[in-house]
Amino acid sequence: MINITLTINGIVRTLAVLPEERLLDVLRDRLGLMGTKEGCGSGDCGACTVLMNGRPVTSCMVLAATVDQADILTIEGLEQDGKLHPLQQAFIDEGAVQCGFCTPGMILSSLALLQENPDPDEEAIKRAIAGNLCRCTGYARIFAAIKTAALRMRSDA
Amino acid sequence: MRDQKELKVVGVSLPRVDGVQKVRGRAVYAPDFVLPRMLYAKVLWSDRPHAKIVRLDASKALQVPGVVVFVSAEDAPRNRYGVYLKDQLVFARGKVRHIGEPVAALAAESEQAALEALKLVEVVYEDLPVVFDPLEAMQDGAPIVHPDLESYSATYPKVAYGNVALYTRLSIGDTEKGFAEADHIFEDEFKTQAMYQGYVEPRACVAGFDQRDKLTVWTSNQQIAECHAELAAALDVPMTDVRVVGTALGGGFGGKLKTHLEPIAALLAKKTGRAVKIVLTREEDMIASRARPPYIIRLKTGVTNEGRITARETQLVSDCGGYSDHVVGTMGLAVTFAQGAYKIPNCEVKGYVVYTNNPNYSCMRGYGAHQIDFANESQMDMIASRMGWDPVEFRRENLIEDGDVLVSTQPIKEVTIKETMDVALERSKWVEKVKQEKVLGDKVRYGIGIGNTIINMGLLSSSAMIKFNGDGTATILTSVMDLGTGNHTALIQIAAEELGMLAEQVNIAEVDSDSSPYDLGQIASRTIFDAGNAVRLAAKDARKKLFETAAELLQVPEEDLESESGMIFSRTDRSKEIAIAGVNGYRIWVKGGPVVGGSGWLGRPGFEEEVGEGYPQAPSKTFVFGTHIAEVEVDIETGRVTVVKVTAVHDVGRAVNPLGVQGQIEGGVVQGVGYALMEELQVKDGVILNPDFLNYRMPTTLDIPEIDPVILEIPSEFGPFGAKGLGEPVMMGVVPAIANAIENAIGVRVTEVPITAERLLQAVKEKNQRK
Repeated sequence: MINITLTINGIVRTLAVLPEERLLDVLRDRLGLMGTKEGCGSGDCGACTVLMNGRPVTSCMVLAATVDQADILTIEGLEQDGKLHPLQQAFIDEGAVQCGFCTPGMILSSLALLQENPDPDEEAIKRAIAGNLCRCTGYARIFAAIKTAALRMRSDA
Repeated sequence: MRDQKELKVVGVSLPRVDGVQKVRGRAVYAPDFVLPRMLYAKVLWSDRPHAKIVRLDASKALQVPGVVVFVSAEDAPRNRYGVYLKDQLVFARGKVRHIGEPVAALAAESEQAALEALKLVEVVYEDLPVVFDPLEAMQDGAPIVHPDLESYSATYPKVAYGNVALYTRLSIGDTEKGFAEADHIFEDEFKTQAMYQGYVEPRACVAGFDQRDKLTVWTSNQQIAECHAELAAALDVPMTDVRVVGTALGGGFGGKLKTHLEPIAALLAKKTGRAVKIVLTREEDMIASRARPPYIIRLKTGVTNEGRITARETQLVSDCGGYSDHVVGTMGLAVTFAQGAYKIPNCEVKGYVVYTNNPNYSCMRGYGAHQIDFANESQMDMIASRMGWDPVEFRRENLIEDGDVLVSTQPIKEVTIKETMDVALERSKWVEKVKQEKVLGDKVRYGIGIGNTIINMGLLSSSAMIKFNGDGTATILTSVMDLGTGNHTALIQIAAEELGMLAEQVNIAEVDSDSSPYDLGQIASRTIFDAGNAVRLAAKDARKKLFETAAELLQVPEEDLESESGMIFSRTDRSKEIAIAGVNGYRIWVKGGPVVGGSGWLGRPGFEEEVGEGYPQAPSKTFVFGTHIAEVEVDIETGRVTVVKVTAVHDVGRAVNPLGVQGQIEGGVVQGVGYALMEELQVKDGVILNPDFLNYRMPTTLDIPEIDPVILEIPSEFGPFGAKGLGEPVMMGVVPAIANAIENAIGVRVTEVPITAERLLQAVKEKNQRK
């Protein structure tokens, strides 16, 4: 077992993990943070995307033992004081959610984009979420949601 | 009548009722479901395409610490079950017929222990002769996949022999006479691929015991009521002995029907008395398959010099792999639409579903209507091109109309193909664009193409209940799930509209076979139409009861009552009003229980006489139409096709939730782009060569066109508030539209999908050689 200390959604946790355990397993199986989804287990679909030190990673491809001292944000850590994050709200308002299985990963990839570029054009949006597969929406509503969220975040800032 | 007055809730783009839980990551999908002391199961899938099981020994596997239970055919009932043709078993018995067939399963305290033990299960196979080509499988002397085929029962008048699981034939008119009237006869062959549904949530379920110790399966499934029935059949127990509850559903597209993992998990749970979870890896999900079956389609079409189609002969062959599953049904739909959206008075169609040792195919969005649509719409353009006709004018000359008769002998109605075509042509600026310069630089050519769609609307049974609470809120009970399409929101809108309530006063219960009334399920574009009708009828029933009590309380005749926003009032005297809450409160204390409404609905005209031979398809209540126009840029050097824009026009009768309809169209078009250009399960010697998302390429944000989703609303006489479904047609016409646009761009026809760069360059080469 390997001891790691990391911050998950603002809470510092110390865990003893197996060498083969993935960050995804720690989140889902140990901490019950089921919002992070496993779609493929090979880093191809993006459903398990979380932010690690502000950057999107596919948590199925990250060994837990290697993330000592990391700062992790999952979908459960997005809302503040019971209020949805503007991206979460915009995904609902713009019809960007259908089955919802890709949604948490999609929202976190979008958040990483908006933190870097508060006013992205459509090309930037397409590139930022190109690693997140959505089989339901055809992506158009997701683009709309990210634009709406960006606008709301800029006008709130 | 409510239809005549202004609609308050139907037609509004309300946010989906499960949106908040999904964006918060709190919706519980099957892989998220956990029970105390739960075991983790792994399935042993056959790695042989056709082999006798000589020995199956789990003794070493059972010695792995943490391994609790092992099950195989020995533990499963012997009765065969299936959707159409009853050829399936929970586990292979005696022999395996395809790679990915379940042979056994085991469960352990941890997933790691289960995986370790799985490697220690000893299976000794003796290989049998194999057959992979469906045309070879149809020949005399081919290895027989199901020697007991004759003894299998079916839900339709079965015609089966050799490896032919289904033979069906339909005809109308006189094709001999029709071809004699033709000035030109065209014969073409088309091929479509095995396509994976590609839902992002892999198949998963948990079997365990509820608080009354009843064997219960929590599952991600499109057909909870049918899953329940088939699970009971597979376990050979009464339906009251098992319970099925739907979890959040992470997409399905035809891949999560009836049962798959549920009987396996249930057997393991039954044997141990503990909860058991199965979650497939992506690779397992693809290898265990149930993908869209590949089709080979031959069309022979006769036309006159004036551009009128006089006759058609169609032959379809589909490979179902080791078991027939839904492939029989896909063929039923494919033969039904042999004429496409066109008037063809003389038509004969033969369909064959053939067993091979390929993976077990089943069905995907569009069922069999999709494959035949690609062939029909491609050939329309091919004929027009050979004759020097305009493809649009040739279609117009032959468009099907109300009263025309399908090859299934069913008269067609509510035809709106002319309308969808007219709007699509106008919106896409077709007339200007066909004249546009085709040469865009040295290597790139522009093209535009059209594809029409026709599919059935209304399939079999639905029922629903609406029960009121004392505070005037209401809960809908139905077995229909929400795959992600938003239909639960739309069903709430339908109920609220009919009851004169606000949408937020109505909710929908978890789907539970113990309490939800029967519904065939979320398949066949039928939910808004069939489940929608059932919900509306249940709401009508409830409204009548509400009004009876309100009339008594307000001392006014029932006919004078109206309801809106949760209030019932007199039309002639608005001072006389009562809240629906008040009516139900009064009923609880004085009349005996709040209002419960119920209904039954059949999405077909009635039980007609059998038609043709071996025909497995039910007639439908009505039909639904759409038109796609695709614009492409073809790189003549690399063969790469970029779909620039798709105009998609669909008549939905009435858009119950326009934002939801828009999402369906956009999502469908993108799946259609995948079908047309990218996606194919590559199967060689029964092995799927690309069982992962890296090598099975689905469209990402970088592969999608601009989409113009256009909603037409020509109310259906039969739909709830006029609505028709659109889940499948939205991905259909785009495929031939792209193939037609490619020919328009470079003068080369590809008759096999997906149209990969390799296939396109090969077609270019062949064309140049012919010159």
